[in-house]
Amino acid sequence: MLRTNFMRKFIDRLIILVLAYFIVIPFSMGQTAGFQLPEYEKFTLNNGLTVYMMQQAEVPTISFSALIPAGAIQDGENSGISFLTAAALQFGTENYSKSEIEEALDFIGANLNSSSTKEYAQVSARFASKDTETVLPIIKEVITAPKFDAEEVEKERKRMISNLERDRESPRSVISSYWEKFLFADHAYGNPARGTVSTVESFTASDLESFYQQHYAPDNSAIALVGDFDLAEMKTKIEEMFSSWEKTSGNNSANLNEPELALDSSRVMLVNKGDARETTFLIGGKGVKRDNPDYVAIQVVNTVLGGRFTSWLNDELRVNTGLTYGANSRFTPMKYAGTFAISTFTATENTEETIDRALQVYERMHSEGIDEETLTSAKNYVKGQFPPNYETSRQLAGLLTQMFWYGFDENYINTFQANVEELDTQKAQQIIEQYFPKENLQFLLIGKSEDIKSIAQKYGEVVEKEITEDGF
Amino acid sequence: MKKLLSILCVCLSVPVFGQMKADDVQTFTLDNGMKFLVIEDGSIPNANMYLFYKVGSRNEHPGITGLSHFFEHMMFNGAEKYGPKEFDRVMEYNGGANNAYTTQDVTVYTNWFPNSALEVIFDLEADRIGSLSIDSAMVESERGVVLSERSTGLENSPWRVLGEAVNSTAFLEHSYNWSVIGYESDIKNWKKEDLEEYFNTYYDPSNCVIVISGDVKFDEVKQLAESYMAPIPSTRQPKPVHLVEPPQTGERRITVQKEVSSPYMIVGYHTPNTQHGDFYALDILSSILSRGKTSRLYSALVDQKQLATGVFTNFGESFDPNLFSVYAVAAREVDEADLEEAIYEEIEKVKAEGIKEDELQKIKNQKLMDFYSQIETINGKSNNIGTYELFFGDYRKMFDAPEEYEKVTMDDIQRVANEYFKKSNRTVGVLKANVED
Repeated sequence: MLRTNFMRKFIDRLIILVLAYFIVIPFSMGQTAGFQLPEYEKFTLNNGLTVYMMQQAEVPTISFSALIPAGAIQDGENSGISFLTAAALQFGTENYSKSEIEEALDFIGANLNSSSTKEYAQVSARFASKDTETVLPIIKEVITAPKFDAEEVEKERKRMISNLERDRESPRSVISSYWEKFLFADHAYGNPARGTVSTVESFTASDLESFYQQHYAPDNSAIALVGDFDLAEMKTKIEEMFSSWEKTSGNNSANLNEPELALDSSRVMLVNKGDARETTFLIGGKGVKRDNPDYVAIQVVNTVLGGRFTSWLNDELRVNTGLTYGANSRFTPMKYAGTFAISTFTATENTEETIDRALQVYERMHSEGIDEETLTSAKNYVKGQFPPNYETSRQLAGLLTQMFWYGFDENYINTFQANVEELDTQKAQQIIEQYFPKENLQFLLIGKSEDIKSIAQKYGEVVEKEITEDGF
Repeated sequence: MKKLLSILCVCLSVPVFGQMKADDVQTFTLDNGMKFLVIEDGSIPNANMYLFYKVGSRNEHPGITGLSHFFEHMMFNGAEKYGPKEFDRVMEYNGGANNAYTTQDVTVYTNWFPNSALEVIFDLEADRIGSLSIDSAMVESERGVVLSERSTGLENSPWRVLGEAVNSTAFLEHSYNWSVIGYESDIKNWKKEDLEEYFNTYYDPSNCVIVISGDVKFDEVKQLAESYMAPIPSTRQPKPVHLVEPPQTGERRITVQKEVSSPYMIVGYHTPNTQHGDFYALDILSSILSRGKTSRLYSALVDQKQLATGVFTNFGESFDPNLFSVYAVAAREVDEADLEEAIYEEIEKVKAEGIKEDELQKIKNQKLMDFYSQIETINGKSNNIGTYELFFGDYRKMFDAPEEYEKVTMDDIQRVANEYFKKSNRTVGVLKANVED
């Protein structure tokens, strides 16, 4: 058992044999003196593909990352089509069958993942430098020339449905989908990242093919390579390989309008899970976009509220009262939208006390602000925990493609410390007032309705759902 | 959901590799028996300290099940110099973060910090190892935390529920019988005195190995260890765990009810501990069965027959003989009996026909890539070095592993499959919604 929960995927596995002390909190950003992003090159091919390269020779491997604007915000009516398409990229290409890809990569211990998130699709790989000639041509075809084999698509579609059904057994697996639908409603940001059973049921290989044709193209996409290679040689290789990737005839840009949130009253969404023994809940509202100029300052302030073990929320709900194993708060900044949420869980019978105490802590931050010592501590923490986020070639490749999508550059890393340092208590107060929603808070509760419905009504108008019901 | 337990399963095949050698690990042992392993690595301006205590749920007995894990929580709740809450406050003020985990065998405390905080971390750790104070009010609030941790695990993970049931069926006498989190009734019942006794027994400096990696200098670490840790006296040696699980002489089965959309299954076989000669062959066999899309179980169950949506195996490090387990989740509308049959069919194929040469080579290649990942970060270094030191008895074994893997032949794989994958040696657990009343 862990003291706190690390990444969730970890926990599900660890939980069988290991208990952790604490849930490690989503936002860890910090930095120590002199931490700078290693040098990298950025260039654009004739077809519009943006390429990043960075040499890192600590181990003889290469990490590859590609970002394509083909996430769930592009799903339209076909909820889940982006997710299934990304998975199906590996089901055979122009020159490689599915089994040829799998056998070639498995044999050399290379891994290749293709998946999609709410905002974009990603292809990532890691392989030994000596295997570059084997792996790169496969990656290239997976991205630029997939063939959506009908039988394989059908098999994956069934697995996807099983997984969607199984997600509903764990409140933690579905809570973000409910939350984003609740806040963004019919805007594209309300689309669940992995779709819904009723829409996925009908997908065929040709649906995937047309989604692919419309959204997978070099313009508005980026690839990054980080690792042990010769820069000039790699540049030539990448140019040769990816220049032939043709642009789409249409427009594959993912430009969206910022969603208008109709949060003019407090609302409660209550999702009934009949066999629940605890209530899992979020409280929050509108957050910020990733390009917000105060992004760093917001992270520091959130660290105080709910971004580390001694944060005010965890201190009150876990350390002082033992109501939960962990409580946190987080901003989820995206390209065109953002959310903010306080997040925790507690035994069904403690639901009301836990919500009330969370609200008290939150209100206290608004009324009293942050004292000097606590702010200094949070700044030190955020700085100290920053470098390990950019230690491996995989992390660095991911960072480079994120830069592309969110439109930032190495200044974010290189000025991080200075930006953290700049924050004083007065500015912190202003950040709280400006970005931490105070009025019309939104509540999402997953638990046993029968026992907590009357409590839910205290906080606003209640909308009810069944966790087993399709959609969010 | 596909990878092995990363914290528990260190990459075991470690080639002789330029970037890191056994000589890069510098060691010393204090007079009180506390051992230090230090790896200098200045790639980022950070460092870590991993403290491995040789105590876990296997050291417990009914009445105090879950105490090792609970104790791990209490280590954060106040000592002589730094009172309740101060450990975390001081650490975070200095830019550090921490976590800790407990398994059947060990309790591990992990600190990650900017290198400037090294001395503060020594001070904090020395304080709680040397003079922990157990406050009754803190025991009560921590009880709530652990009950919540227990409940949220059961709420969110069917594997946890089923894994506990399988262990309690496969182990009748050995202390691997109960879960690391312990019985709810024990969690609610233990007293301050139980905790004090536990601390005095198991948190002796001689029962601890400390690994430090990162932007630090060996001489500085040694000097800090001398001034902060050396004064802590060694007062006693914990009693060895004497329990031995008798051989299993017939298949055991257990069913658990939970509202799930399709059945979950675990098949566990008793296997030897980490220091047994068959460890490397079994470890390779585990990869052959479930690692990657070309592995035997994935290819047959998930891809070709579509009986499962996921399958994996686990064979981790263990002080005492433990289980080699196969985990599978049935696909929609698949009868779990068909899934179970298909698992055995693959296992029987290995027993009857052995494996192919390129399968063996594939695993050896994958182990090399694992090694690169493990030493790419300072945390990977500390966790691996510490795990080898504890489970294999010597961190140098990490550097001998390639040779050990090279020695494994196709015949060895077939032999261990026949030796351990017997019906009479297995425990089968099924978790499903529609259990008969």
